[in-house]
Amino acid sequence: MRCALRAAALAACVIASLACSNDPYPSADANAHVLYMPYPEAPKTLDPQVAYSVYDHEVLSNVYETPLEYHYLKRPYELIPGLVTAVPEPRALGDGRVVYTFKLRRGVRFASDPCFALGGAGRTQRELVASDLVFALQRIADPKVGSPVLVTFSKIVGLAEFGKRLATLREDDPAFAALRIDEQYRRAGPIEGLNWKVTDDLKVTDVLDVTLDAPYPQILYWFAMPFTAPVPWEAVAWYDGEEGRDGFAEHAVGTGPFRIARYQKRSRIVLERNPDWYGAVHPEWRAPAATYPSEGEAGDAGRGLLAPAAVGRALPFVDRVEMRFEKEAIPVFTKFLQGYYDRSRIPKESFDKAASGGVLSPAMAALGMRLERTVTLGTYYIGFNMVDPVVGNAAGERSRKLRQAMSLAIDADEFLRVFLNGRGIPANSPLPPGLFGYEEDYRNPFRSVDLERARSLLAAAGYANGVDPGTGRALRLSFDTGDTSVQARLRYQFLVESWRRLGLDVEIAATSYNQFQDKVRRGAHQLYFWGWVADYPDPENFLFLLWGPMGQTRGGGPNSSNFADPRYDALFDAMKNRGNDAERLATIRAMRALLEIERPWIELFHPEDYALTQGWLHNAKATGLTVPIWKYYDVDAAMRAERRVAWNQPVRWPAFAIAGLGVVLLVPGVATYLRERH
Amino acid sequence: MEGHVLGNAFAAAIVLLAALAAWRLRASAFWRERLGEIARRRPIATVVVALYLGVALLDSVAWRDAQPGEASVEARSLLDRAFPADFRERSYSAPLAAVEFYGGAALAHPGRHLLGTDILGRDVLHLALGGARVALLIGGLTSLIAIPLAIALGLAAGYLGGRTDDLVFFLLSTLASMPSILLLVALIMVIGRGPVQVCLALAVTSWVNFCRVVRGETLKLRELDYVSAARALGVSELRIVWRHVLPNLSHLVVITFVLTFSQLVLSEAILSWLGVGIDGSWGQMIDQARDELARDPIIAWNLGAASAALFGLILAVNLVGDALRDVLDPHTLRERT
Repeated sequence: MRCALRAAALAACVIASLACSNDPYPSADANAHVLYMPYPEAPKTLDPQVAYSVYDHEVLSNVYETPLEYHYLKRPYELIPGLVTAVPEPRALGDGRVVYTFKLRRGVRFASDPCFALGGAGRTQRELVASDLVFALQRIADPKVGSPVLVTFSKIVGLAEFGKRLATLREDDPAFAALRIDEQYRRAGPIEGLNWKVTDDLKVTDVLDVTLDAPYPQILYWFAMPFTAPVPWEAVAWYDGEEGRDGFAEHAVGTGPFRIARYQKRSRIVLERNPDWYGAVHPEWRAPAATYPSEGEAGDAGRGLLAPAAVGRALPFVDRVEMRFEKEAIPVFTKFLQGYYDRSRIPKESFDKAASGGVLSPAMAALGMRLERTVTLGTYYIGFNMVDPVVGNAAGERSRKLRQAMSLAIDADEFLRVFLNGRGIPANSPLPPGLFGYEEDYRNPFRSVDLERARSLLAAAGYANGVDPGTGRALRLSFDTGDTSVQARLRYQFLVESWRRLGLDVEIAATSYNQFQDKVRRGAHQLYFWGWVADYPDPENFLFLLWGPMGQTRGGGPNSSNFADPRYDALFDAMKNRGNDAERLATIRAMRALLEIERPWIELFHPEDYALTQGWLHNAKATGLTVPIWKYYDVDAAMRAERRVAWNQPVRWPAFAIAGLGVVLLVPGVATYLRERH
Repeated sequence: MEGHVLGNAFAAAIVLLAALAAWRLRASAFWRERLGEIARRRPIATVVVALYLGVALLDSVAWRDAQPGEASVEARSLLDRAFPADFRERSYSAPLAAVEFYGGAALAHPGRHLLGTDILGRDVLHLALGGARVALLIGGLTSLIAIPLAIALGLAAGYLGGRTDDLVFFLLSTLASMPSILLLVALIMVIGRGPVQVCLALAVTSWVNFCRVVRGETLKLRELDYVSAARALGVSELRIVWRHVLPNLSHLVVITFVLTFSQLVLSEAILSWLGVGIDGSWGQMIDQARDELARDPIIAWNLGAASAALFGLILAVNLVGDALRDVLDPHTLRERT
């Protein structure tokens, strides 16, 4: 009887396993309007004033909204109104100060949340007002919040002082520190550069004047980043991590098109359509950030991005976004091939099979998949420390020629081919494509390989054949890095061997990251490899990396090369606050020409992102910035369900083969055992 | 002093020491007989170990080719000189392939890379052979630091007893209670990366077990009759240790050296995996292959060559070590007689 039961249980298991599907989602969702996206790293925080990583912003940009946003399709990137009715224009005051006036939309509501009960019993939501935007800016100044962008926003008159007052009050009076957060901010006094007016007249918008101590046109780009997303004071006060409540870093209350339905950050994040979003409640406004655009860049129409079915429709198109935590790239790609993700990057391991030569493989194209290539707004480069006695400014013309020669020895095309499957474009200047000032036709005369010219430059520098006349041996330089992985070492080895062809002896000095940073801070480095990805699409965000006052060793800024040239600094000052006009372009060209000769950097490449999109996903356009994009995506759920079934037919023969093999191996063994036993 | 000059000096010292040891051992009938027996018992393993030693020595003798008015950046070893100076490609190529693995461009040396080339186009056979020097350096140098340390402290603890024993045993217990890999990584982070630093760190973690064995053996030896007799005759303690205790530990030293050696080489492979190994080691080649195994199509020759070289050395050393123990350990000797 017991044997019979066991056999029945085994048979049931076998039958059940044969009937199993590999579908990781509930079958009820098969035809649902859901977007399936993987994420490789859990968000560190959901606090918009603190979050700075791509993974944080991927979630936050869909849950919170900012005063300004980027046009989804146009390139170069263009700002559009988000929570405001128009992109503000600068208004100069006589004393050098500049004012931007933000006119907020009325009728925008926060997603419903229990925290609003703090503002009145039974309340679950409320309307956005200008003071919520002020509250967000106050939080940036609050030392307890620890926002990483305080320096940038300190250009707002009185913002930094507000933070200092707050810190002093908290330190001096424990009772003050125990007050509710909005009360603390109120008692800390106003910020001179933030003046707002709230009106009950529904026809009049809330108006916020932001005064900067000096012209800084790039501030508008910062108002398109989650740092300036308005947050309700009730959420910050309520979600304090006490008495079983979440911390504010784990709980988002925004005004965005989606709200968080489930937040298990190390396994699953679910965003669902926010029914209170102004785009859903007031489609008749046809607000730019809540309506699918009707124009884009050249070629968008051909790529199906301006389909009549989408243009002018109210956003968002999908009801839910299912995000699944996938640490490794290969399982993501495999699930994408099975139809369980709507978009995927191509892991470098599978790149040659999926997209050799930058073209999607015929087999994948036949399945309706599409390949999107976007150049990221980033630049990777090799930097020289300009305060170093050998490669820096102190050696004058000699070191300039040395830097020029070293630049001529590095083959960026080959570097990209060997290490990045060709995913990138060789860089000729610090500015990547997609930015004002980038010129496709420009060729840096020191960024193509010319070993003969490099050798003659070296000879002119006094290092004939790479020999240092001081020692009689090959000139010894140090390539400093904080990455000790073997993969990084191979990359650096490529560079070192390129310079070896000139007779230069460059040693890789790999230390821990902290030791490396310490070296850079002290100016004890010589050559280094670094990259920069744009915060916002303005040339200033790249060219400031070589601005003298930003020198890392002297001033702790991000200019790790410590490049300081009065001519460059003057040009930078003239360029940074100008609009994108012909004069600005001419200034950028002059700066580029200076860098071309001075060579504080050997510009290497601008990375390129290859993304695969399923045939059923519509309106997907890659962006080089982390901006709210999921509200524009649409899916053909019926097509997806059909293809998932077709692509995941169970292959049963290996199970039968293994079972057969087991029988073949077991039977003689059991027979021998029984025979010997008897 | 430059790296290759130091390497040459080290190689010369090793050869000199080996010659001296051979000359001394030839005079001893005991050692002559034992070594002959090892060679008879494990002929292939002995030859394999000798081959690895030979390759490592060839890779240790290097010099620069300086032309008039030029400075050669790289010192090339005898092993390097066995391969053409420009024996490399642009990137990956499969063993004996005529074209590049990706893109299919013609190779500069078609069909001549027996084990293929790595991502930088370097010949994998050359790299694998070069790993022998690093492996033997790790095993040899670390043993040279760890074994004398273990003997000195083990002898002191076992022979002197009392406070010295307490102190040494406390040190042993403390180190033995720490996870050795974590300790290794921490030490390397503090003292820096480099062959000598890695050997030092490995030595700090590998002397403990041997020290415990030496201490136990010394505790036993110091109570034996001939030691008591020497003490009664007024022989100094130092001379007793030198003349009567230490020689009776020599078999342990030899056996431990061989058995520790393979453990050390494997430990370096683990350290390389953790990103703190030595350049040019097999561990680093295996670490590099981490990404290559996940490629589609797979690149296995880099991993295969490094693993085979590592496996070959460890197996051969272990076989020779077993034979050594058999012929030197008094217990096994007694069992045989």
